[in-house]
Amino acid sequence: MSPVRAALLFCALLAGTILVPSPSVAAGAVSPPALAPLPPPPSPPENPTTPEKVALGKNLFFDRRLSGDGTMSCATCHNPETGFADALPISLSYPTTRNWRNSPGLVNAAYRKTVFRDGRATSLEEQALFPMMSPFEMNRNLDYVEEVLKTVPAYVEAFRSVFGGEITRQRVSMAIAAFERTLLSRDTPLDRHLRGESGTLTARQRAGLELFLGKAGCATCHNGPNLTDERFHNLGVPEDPKAKEDPRVLATARFVGKVSGFAEYRTLTEDPGRFLVTRAPEDWKAFATPPLREVASTAPYMHNGSLATLDDVIDFYDRGGGDDPKKSPLLKPLGLTRGEKGALKDFLAGGVSGAVPRIRPPRVP
Amino acid sequence: MVKHLPYRHRDDSRIAAEASLAARDQGKFREMHLLLLDRSPKLDRASLIGYAKELELDVPRFTKDLDTMRHKTEIDRDLMLGEALGLYNTPTIFINGVKLLGDRPIEEYRAVIDGELKAAGAAGKNR
Repeated sequence: MSPVRAALLFCALLAGTILVPSPSVAAGAVSPPALAPLPPPPSPPENPTTPEKVALGKNLFFDRRLSGDGTMSCATCHNPETGFADALPISLSYPTTRNWRNSPGLVNAAYRKTVFRDGRATSLEEQALFPMMSPFEMNRNLDYVEEVLKTVPAYVEAFRSVFGGEITRQRVSMAIAAFERTLLSRDTPLDRHLRGESGTLTARQRAGLELFLGKAGCATCHNGPNLTDERFHNLGVPEDPKAKEDPRVLATARFVGKVSGFAEYRTLTEDPGRFLVTRAPEDWKAFATPPLREVASTAPYMHNGSLATLDDVIDFYDRGGGDDPKKSPLLKPLGLTRGEKGALKDFLAGGVSGAVPRIRPPRVP
Repeated sequence: MVKHLPYRHRDDSRIAAEASLAARDQGKFREMHLLLLDRSPKLDRASLIGYAKELELDVPRFTKDLDTMRHKTEIDRDLMLGEALGLYNTPTIFINGVKLLGDRPIEEYRAVIDGELKAAGAAGKNR
């Protein structure tokens, strides 16, 4: 593979999807989808977005009754003030347990084809219930949470009004998903640039965009309107050696393996990534390409938060990724100069960021 | 500085806040605060009175303060402040204005404190 194409992979794992034809892709290679302004978010026919449903979902998103001991809500690990992530390398966990992955930001999650770092859910509706019942996250029994919510008259009325029926776990997840579909960033300088407005990107950010599309290779994977190829890649991100020694992390890894139907879950000592879902050898330690809008707000980066800053991420890709022998062959050293790294960072920090949706916590019923 | 944001769906959250303030009146807020964290979730009235004994407080006075909710106004004021600030999670900790939400690893607090001290030191040198 050409160094350019290898370089293109670099950005794919940062965040979204922009599809601008990459002039640097080697002749004959399939061009990645072009960067493009984000269209309006989907409103699935099976769960259409309505203002009332969004309001209900917002209340549920901030309601600590959804966690076993009342200490956590969805917003604890998806804090509106930190890009709807929690600004920790490894996400917050239920008392006495340990999480094992970095909390992903939710901005533009509406457009995702799969959810979770390993893509094990194919919709926001499917995703929302897992952290609720997960013993290392919110640890709430779903049969019980239904009954808890049914004791709240305002919720009973809201579910009746929105869904025409009683409170069920499926409707809880549908309402939360509807709210999450409103967490959008569609008006960054890049979006305005792609819509043909002039002067929205600074000269340095435009240089960063050129690198993104070309030498740095970001757009190989961070392409299309949401800046993600919706695929999974092993970048060779190093494991935290301390995590392997923590029995609570091992328990979490094995629990996720077990509920994912992974037969050898008791042997897990590290995070297998997408392999847990597909069992495909090429998916070993592969993780989803995240979308990139508002990436500046969601540090630290990668599935285990091992890269603290955008500078660290750029340096990581510039080195050709990590040392895992099974890492993606697309990753090669990029040879970026200091100035190029700076321009790329400016593009990521200022060109695709700066429009995080402002959400004020509601008065939960 | 500690502000109170007792969780309304937890039985003893409110009375525990009262207990810490009743202890404060007798000069032992910190001691009671740490004891409450250590002994949680045993925060019912009888347990709190036991902690007051343990800390050698004036127990009749402490008990009266609990039972009359002597600090209701102060706790309500803290709750209103929390709402005004858009706080929805405990603990929420501000370190020199840096907001940290949730029960985070101690290293995280250390890093922020060190960073703020360093920034303050640099600012001092530049004056």
